[in-house]
Amino acid sequence: MEYVSSLTGFRFDGRRPNEMRQIRGEIGVLAKADGSALFEMGNTKVIAAVFGPREVQNKSQQIDNQALVRCEYSMANFSTGDRARKPKGDRNIISYSADHGSKYINTFDASFSGKNLKQIDIFLQVLQADGGTRSACINAATLALADAGIPMRDIVTSCSAGYLCSTPLLDLNYVEDSAGGPDVTVGLLVKMDKMTLLQVIALMPTFFFFCCCICFVLLFV
Amino acid sequence: MVGLSAGEKQFMHGGIAQDLRSDGRQRLQFRPISIQTGVIPQANGSARVTLGATVVIASIKAELGKPAPLRPDKGKVVIFIDCSPTAGTMFEGRGGEELSSELSVGLQRCLLGGKSGAEAGAGIDLSSLVLAEGKICWDLYIDGLVISSDGNLLDALAAAIKVCRFIFLVRFEISSPWQVALSNTGIPKVSVIVEASAEDQLEVNVSDEEFLQFDTSGVPVIVTLTKVGRHYIADATSEEESQMSSAVSVSVNRHGRVCGLTKRGGAGLDPSVMLDMISVAKHASENLIAVLDSEIAAAEAAEDDGS
Amino acid sequence: MASGPLETYSPSQTLERRHQQQKRKSFNEIDWARSDGRNFHQCRPAYLRTGATSSASGSAYAEFGSTKVIVSVFGPRESKKAMMYSDVGRLNCNVSYTTFSTSTRGQGSDNKDFSSMLQKALEGAIILETFPKTTVDIFALVLESAGGDLPIIISCASLALADAGIMMYDLVSAVSLSCFGKNLVIDPTSEEEACQDGSLMIAYMPIRNEVTQFTLTGEWSTAKINEAMELCLDACSKLSNILRSCLKENVLDFTD
Repeated sequence: MEYVSSLTGFRFDGRRPNEMRQIRGEIGVLAKADGSALFEMGNTKVIAAVFGPREVQNKSQQIDNQALVRCEYSMANFSTGDRARKPKGDRNIISYSADHGSKYINTFDASFSGKNLKQIDIFLQVLQADGGTRSACINAATLALADAGIPMRDIVTSCSAGYLCSTPLLDLNYVEDSAGGPDVTVGLLVKMDKMTLLQVIALMPTFFFFCCCICFVLLFV
Repeated sequence: MVGLSAGEKQFMHGGIAQDLRSDGRQRLQFRPISIQTGVIPQANGSARVTLGATVVIASIKAELGKPAPLRPDKGKVVIFIDCSPTAGTMFEGRGGEELSSELSVGLQRCLLGGKSGAEAGAGIDLSSLVLAEGKICWDLYIDGLVISSDGNLLDALAAAIKVCRFIFLVRFEISSPWQVALSNTGIPKVSVIVEASAEDQLEVNVSDEEFLQFDTSGVPVIVTLTKVGRHYIADATSEEESQMSSAVSVSVNRHGRVCGLTKRGGAGLDPSVMLDMISVAKHASENLIAVLDSEIAAAEAAEDDGS
Repeated sequence: MASGPLETYSPSQTLERRHQQQKRKSFNEIDWARSDGRNFHQCRPAYLRTGATSSASGSAYAEFGSTKVIVSVFGPRESKKAMMYSDVGRLNCNVSYTTFSTSTRGQGSDNKDFSSMLQKALEGAIILETFPKTTVDIFALVLESAGGDLPIIISCASLALADAGIMMYDLVSAVSLSCFGKNLVIDPTSEEEACQDGSLMIAYMPIRNEVTQFTLTGEWSTAKINEAMELCLDACSKLSNILRSCLKENVLDFTD
């Protein structure tokens, strides 16, 4: 299948290989959460809610000089094209959630770790999945954390890229994502210029890391 | 859970007794309701309903399936509700399951008339979903998602499902090639060719151009009356729900007929109070249907402008 | 199985006669005979016994027509460690079906909907303040399902609770009713339930005059709801008397 037109050099949905989909962010979408954000990347749409900092619920999980960050990720039944039920206890999702959480720990300022309120819960709800859900989740969570007023060292942004038809493609959509080519998701601390996440699926030439590094200026609406 | 001090409780009870609730509403007044349709492009119909701080999304997806052997002339409708943890920390992990199943059962009873969905009064005409009797039919999957919770989830979900229908009829008109690439919008018209082969196999042609008009205009609305102290109130917030002794959810259709009823909360109710609540709910439903109709019209106008 | 006296709890004849008169007035009345020869407002005979299982704190067996249910009550016993402190007692209900309960061999699974309905029907009747920090477990097993399962489970469970000596405001009795066109058919069998136009179920405490659980499906007019409720409440009060006499009999057996 031809993912990049050999004639025009455009992708399926009319984008150039290094073009991102339209992104939109909105904060404070939920009245009941301490911080919340809606983040859209093309047709991918994610809601993030942050509760906390609050008292640690399960005392055995308390860490003395660090905040406990927990993250739960769930997909709505209608989020994908074919309606498949995803039980909440799905192992994939749990491990997914766990590594989401660990990623953020490094980003928090040490200043608030001395206090009693040390648990932060991040809940991610995918409303629509059209590729790049992982990076959309990270971006949404960042916005929600900022909305909740949690001190962070820097803002984490994320984007994915893939390699199909011997062309590096930025910000894969669902069709491109499921084509089976190599893809990479990168999380970046923009100002500190540090990488918090690098996840690589399948082998890939290293050169198009550059593509991913086009991280976007955050949209505070 | 909502924790209220003794003073707050007294304030709430006193307010309700004087027909002036904490947020300035009267006992039977709803919070402002707003509707956005077509929020999920992959679904055949979808809507988001915002009722105060309560936000729910409903989506309807149609898939081809086989009718149940006992009811060869009827399609199937499945309602499934999920409570997202974004609505509150109590829905974390498996915490939302109990409420989710309670809501699913409540909606099933109120909108479909029992589990089988075979009974009269169901807002959805199941026979219209059948393509070839006993062989192939549309299965409608109704998914609800609670994004933010501030009481009265059942009413909000029912309203969201009700306004989904509008998209069913209109979606295909405004579907751009971009959306078609993602999924079919509206129910595609399917022609079935029955072959007299031994395997009894069917050939199904799904057409992308023609769409079936699906009539769900009779879907009822649900009005929940929550009993707090000696009075009952409509559209309770979660603070008010935490003080409830019992609640009665009545689903009423456009013709003012009761289509289903469930009672929540353990405390008993006098039968005469119950009948009184049913008639009050019927009155309240007229207003709610009128509000929804005007919101649908507004959404329709907005979509027309957009396309 | 039913060796004891069979009692029925059909709503009053006077009420019934009035309804029949009303019916005669309305034309185009389709009349048909019920498969078990009952008339529309006649309930199946009820056979109830307490003390069905010896290991439980209280238990009851109910047989209404061919629907057979056994309910055992355990407790009050200490709540699970994971549960938070509560100054009122907890009620835990579980309804399950045997694999041979229906004509086609089923899965014998738990019925979560019925479990939560049972809990809500009984919660309002039990004086939960009398057993803080503890839990009462109710296990209902449907041996044979032939219609009206849930109301029978509720009535049988309240009998079992009384047998276990759990403090209650009143006995809860429950009756269901099916609607076919213009006809209201009380205590439907499973065949009738399968083709009903609408249904109504009431759990009722006659002495306190309180409805603890009420469900309704299908399309109803208010007048019809009134009529159906009247019928069900009358039947509930009568069923409650049967439950009461069953408990008394049990006590008499002990004194003998």
